[in-house]
Amino acid sequence: MSKRILVADDEAHILHVVSMKLKNAGYEVLTAVDGEEALELCLSEQPDLLITDYQMPYLTGMELCLKLRSDEKTKAIPAIMLTARGFDIEPQEMIDAGLAAVLAKPFSPREVLEKVSGLLNENQAAHNESE
Amino acid sequence: MTTVRRLGIASVLLVAFGASIAYYATTLALRNGHGESAQNVPWVALVFIAALAAGGVMAFWKTVQRDINTISSQMDTMAKTGKIGLVMLESTGELNQIVKPLNEFLTMIRRQTEDLRVENRELQIQFRVAAAEKHNTEAIIFSISDAVIVTNRFDELILANEAAEKLLGFKLTPSLRKNIDQIISNGTLVRLIRETRSNGRNITRKVVEHCIDQKGSPRTFNITLSCVAAPADEVSGVVAVLHDVTREKEIARIKTDFVSNVSHELKTPLSSIKAYIEMLLDGEAQDEKTTKEFYEIISFETDRLHRLIENILNISRIESGVVKVVREPISLTSVVKQVLDVAVIQAKSKNIRLTDSLAPVYYQIEADRDMIYQAVLNLLSNAIKYTPEDGSVNVTVNVDERRKVAVCEVSDTGAGIPVDDLPKIFDKFYRVRANEKMAKGTGLGLALVKHIVETVHDGKLTVTSEEGKGSTFAFELPIIV
Repeated sequence: MSKRILVADDEAHILHVVSMKLKNAGYEVLTAVDGEEALELCLSEQPDLLITDYQMPYLTGMELCLKLRSDEKTKAIPAIMLTARGFDIEPQEMIDAGLAAVLAKPFSPREVLEKVSGLLNENQAAHNESE
Repeated sequence: MTTVRRLGIASVLLVAFGASIAYYATTLALRNGHGESAQNVPWVALVFIAALAAGGVMAFWKTVQRDINTISSQMDTMAKTGKIGLVMLESTGELNQIVKPLNEFLTMIRRQTEDLRVENRELQIQFRVAAAEKHNTEAIIFSISDAVIVTNRFDELILANEAAEKLLGFKLTPSLRKNIDQIISNGTLVRLIRETRSNGRNITRKVVEHCIDQKGSPRTFNITLSCVAAPADEVSGVVAVLHDVTREKEIARIKTDFVSNVSHELKTPLSSIKAYIEMLLDGEAQDEKTTKEFYEIISFETDRLHRLIENILNISRIESGVVKVVREPISLTSVVKQVLDVAVIQAKSKNIRLTDSLAPVYYQIEADRDMIYQAVLNLLSNAIKYTPEDGSVNVTVNVDERRKVAVCEVSDTGAGIPVDDLPKIFDKFYRVRANEKMAKGTGLGLALVKHIVETVHDGKLTVTSEEGKGSTFAFELPIIV
């Protein structure tokens, strides 16, 4: 069964390009255009990975991640953040939000795919080991 | 005079005593040697000697008295005129012996008086120069717009300018020296001054940033503290200068925010362009249709990036005054008509009903045509952008003859603006989150309108809005009468 990835971004073209890159690589993709929609989808669909923008309406990517960590059902979902902010995210912030990686915009879809497959394989390996 | 008289009486008594002794001696001699015939002689001799003696004494006495009078009157004149001269006697009498040292003494006094006078004059000049310098220094300190405080080595306040008095709320009484903690209520400032004084020469100058509440609003000051050094490694006091940097900090913050916002806004279209080009290079567009779609997206985002840069440049050019404002009599109605011609295309694509009601063209305002065009265009295109399909947008130009203003109103049946967002919608890069999904924007449009209407043209821009029902933006400019 192919892995499901949720992509959240309020920029339609970014959403489109990231989704397409992942779909072409064989992943199943869900999309959300704001933080609240992304949170709902995380709860209802339990994706294997989240790729989120930093600045989104209603709920920022950071707020979204913090919410995910506080809920047992979504706690384990790994997350990658795309950000156009002019400054870095502090290491502690990354740990708190459970971010596996932060990619600065303008980003490379190729790099996003590399991170995604790396993370999912890692998780798969850990999963297999525990079994 | 009494002394002189006593001297005279003493002389007469002396002469009489001398005469008596002479008489006694004569009679004694005659009685022993010559007998009776000599009996009458002593009386004659006595009288003669007495007369002679009296005459001599009188003559001597007269000379002395005259000399004393001369000395006395000359001294009197000196005392009265304040000019020290020499005492001159006509005679060469006994008193000349006194006059010589007296004159030497007077000469010495005259020389010393003259020296003192010169010294006094120099001191007076020095004092005046010092007073003028002090006055100058104080005037300089008082003219400084920064608050200046000067303390001595006992931490007593000895000088403060008006700015300091106003800022720290005290009135300095120069005659009454008080310790700073009795005058200045700001504990930090008092502590800083004391620390600087006690650290002395080790730290001659330091700058501390400190916040002082001024009439309820906090202001940030750069406090420069310097030691006033005295000889022998002592510190004679401290000068504290308080420079208000609130505005500078605010500008720095706005600038940082602006740069951070601009870069964020620029990165968004740039991200799309880069991502789609990489997709094309990696052969991710698997058919012709997708390839064409990617190219179109790249083109769209490139235009967006260009527009964004233009907007940023425009607003910064207008704000910095680089763009020359050409004021001329123009008709607001005709400018609005020009904008409507462009906006009608945008409205049609969303099936929005665009209506207008415009005042006659002969009413004129004194304004820059291009800028007013830009302002109206921004308001109208916003109205269309944030109104859902099949809605309506209405534009009016009214002239209030009584207030002598032309009012342009743009109202829509769109999304409206939440009350919390209303005060911020004219800020640069501010976008109403709830409406962000409806349309793309840079958050610069309304900031530019506000700048054009209020800063450049001294007009007034207002907004009323109800969430879910629509918004009305209006601006007014004075008409030429």
